[in-house]
Amino acid sequence: MRILVVEDDAEAATAMVRGLTEAGNDVVHAVDGAFGLLEAQKGGYDVYVVDRMMPRLDGIGMVETLRKDGDQTPVLFLSAMGEVEDRIVGLKAGGDDYLVKPYAFAELIARVDALARRRETGGVQTVLKVGDLEMNLIARTVHRGETEIDLQPREFQLLEFLMRHAGQSVTRTMLLEKVWEYHFDPQTNVIDVHISRLRAKIDKGFDRAMLQTVRGAGYRLEP
Amino acid sequence: MKLPSLFRRTPFRLTLLFLALFAAAASAVLAYVYFASAAEAQARAEADVRAETSVLTALYRTRGVDVLNQALVERVTKRSPYLYLLMRADGSKITGDLSVTERSPAGTANSPPSNVSPIENYRGGEQWATFRFTDTDAAGNVVRNQALGVQVTLSGGEMLLVAQDLGDTEKYLSRLTQALWAAMGMVLLLGAGGGLILSRNVERAMGRLNRVVTAVQEGDLKARVEVRRSGDELDELGAGLNAMLDRLQASMASIRHAGDAIAHDLRSPLTRMRAKLEVALIDAEAGKIDGVDALQLSLSEADELLKTFNTVLAIARLQAAAGRTPDPEKFDAGSLAADMAELYEPAAEDKGLEFSAEIETGLMIEANRPFLAQALANVIDNAIKYTPSGGAVMLRARRRSSGDIEFSITDTGPGVPDTDRDRVVERFVRLDNSRTEPGSGLGLSLVAAVLEAHGGRVQLDEGPGEYGGFGPGLRVALILPAAVA
Repeated sequence: MRILVVEDDAEAATAMVRGLTEAGNDVVHAVDGAFGLLEAQKGGYDVYVVDRMMPRLDGIGMVETLRKDGDQTPVLFLSAMGEVEDRIVGLKAGGDDYLVKPYAFAELIARVDALARRRETGGVQTVLKVGDLEMNLIARTVHRGETEIDLQPREFQLLEFLMRHAGQSVTRTMLLEKVWEYHFDPQTNVIDVHISRLRAKIDKGFDRAMLQTVRGAGYRLEP
Repeated sequence: MKLPSLFRRTPFRLTLLFLALFAAAASAVLAYVYFASAAEAQARAEADVRAETSVLTALYRTRGVDVLNQALVERVTKRSPYLYLLMRADGSKITGDLSVTERSPAGTANSPPSNVSPIENYRGGEQWATFRFTDTDAAGNVVRNQALGVQVTLSGGEMLLVAQDLGDTEKYLSRLTQALWAAMGMVLLLGAGGGLILSRNVERAMGRLNRVVTAVQEGDLKARVEVRRSGDELDELGAGLNAMLDRLQASMASIRHAGDAIAHDLRSPLTRMRAKLEVALIDAEAGKIDGVDALQLSLSEADELLKTFNTVLAIARLQAAAGRTPDPEKFDAGSLAADMAELYEPAAEDKGLEFSAEIETGLMIEANRPFLAQALANVIDNAIKYTPSGGAVMLRARRRSSGDIEFSITDTGPGVPDTDRDRVVERFVRLDNSRTEPGSGLGLSLVAAVLEAHGGRVQLDEGPGEYGGFGPGLRVALILPAAVA
């Protein structure tokens, strides 16, 4: 993946570039919004990772300009401002996701991955297929091989999200945000319990476990 | 040029401005009074003279010049208020108390001396004029009074002049002028004096305010304006300034307190983290754990610390909001409760707890959804954490009879002794029997701060009593006002 990192803090940028490069991405760094805009306009990026607070042109201004020009490349905002209204401002300006600093690398990489892949699975799908797991979004049924799996509504949503991001790590926070649509710290890992229930349903009795735990990051559904 | 300091003072300047305006207005009034009085006196004199003249000309017409002459003599001797002069057609005097003054003509040198009467340039008919004449007043002094008179030519060619002495009017007007000037002088004097006193008073009051402002500028937040209860606007300003300073001092104190609290709050987790890192280093050096494990441990410790830090900040922010809900939105508290129940039920059941929920719907509230979710999560998490296996946790959302919305989480754990219930919502307070459980001791403090920011409250009560060998349990109620429809 080609990723444009727009971040004025040199140290944070270096770490980010390194982390994203090591995760197998092609990363370009711009030191502020104005350079970021110039670089983005050259095209060819899969994701923009943009800091909100920068000199010259801030992240909001940069993304607004890009969106006005018709650039639909997914944007992940990074910000030290984590209040609800800040998040709303970021998403309204054309951001696709919002990550509050400080963040874990695993979280950043998982979110960047999710944003980049989202584009590939464009179009309205009625059936999701990952390995021998098949989800019918119209009938709301799930099969693994020949076996029908009975899921609760939330488990269905959880599995749908995992299937849409098959092969990628998704973090617990992402699951809480995207499946439950809540932004708070659940204290204990309530998400783990939900995952283990789902796992019991889709993996139990099969020779291969699809729902993997990724150490220090979260989970991954392996095809 | 630098003006004397008095002139640079606003009250004095205002006084001067008003004095000038007042003097101008007074002058206009005085001038009007003067001219109106003068015109009135003139008109009255004119009417009187006209009446007297018509009486005399009527006498002449009916009885002849001799009778007129006699009447005039009589009038003059009886000191009538009028002045008379009866002249022959050539201008020589027949009778009267005015003398014919020989005057050289004002116009050309060779014109005949027509100006023989006090009326200059008499051309016949009825002619009015004011002139001066010489008289002696009651004290015997010679005065030259002004008179208003009319001269008419009688049918026989004789000329009659009737005039009225305007001396009284003149005196009246001059007295009036004097009085008016004196009044104006008084006004100016009193005004200037009043302005001085006023400006000194205002200056003194402003000085009190200024001293306080300067003191505050120099860092003395305790300085206060002395309020004299006179109820004037300067007093009001002083009281307002005092109230502002009180508020400022209070917020400064609370900021300082929050700062101290944050510093204090972070010391213990930092100390804990340092100790754990040291142990990890020793273990790694001794080969008990490898470096990666030690680093992973450090990372999770750092994450814990960040979490604590964020919570402390959130509490401070909520407390600073002082009863104003940050970013409120309207939503159904019932659906939030249902979401939370759905989220936590598996975790409770995994621990062997019976989890149940009783949720009413249509409980509209205006609240900050993430913060309220966080508060509920903290309480539910506590309930699950402290209730031994085999116990029960119940989440309820309902409308109280007062109309307020109440979330309550009841567990069958050991509960919190009555005496500790106020204490557990304070920051970092962890009861002895909970020390072994993970947690920062901030959970309930955040809950209390969230509810306070929503104009609500947290209420801790005893649970259902003995249950499965434990008890008495704990009931935590989060009460907040319903949204205004």
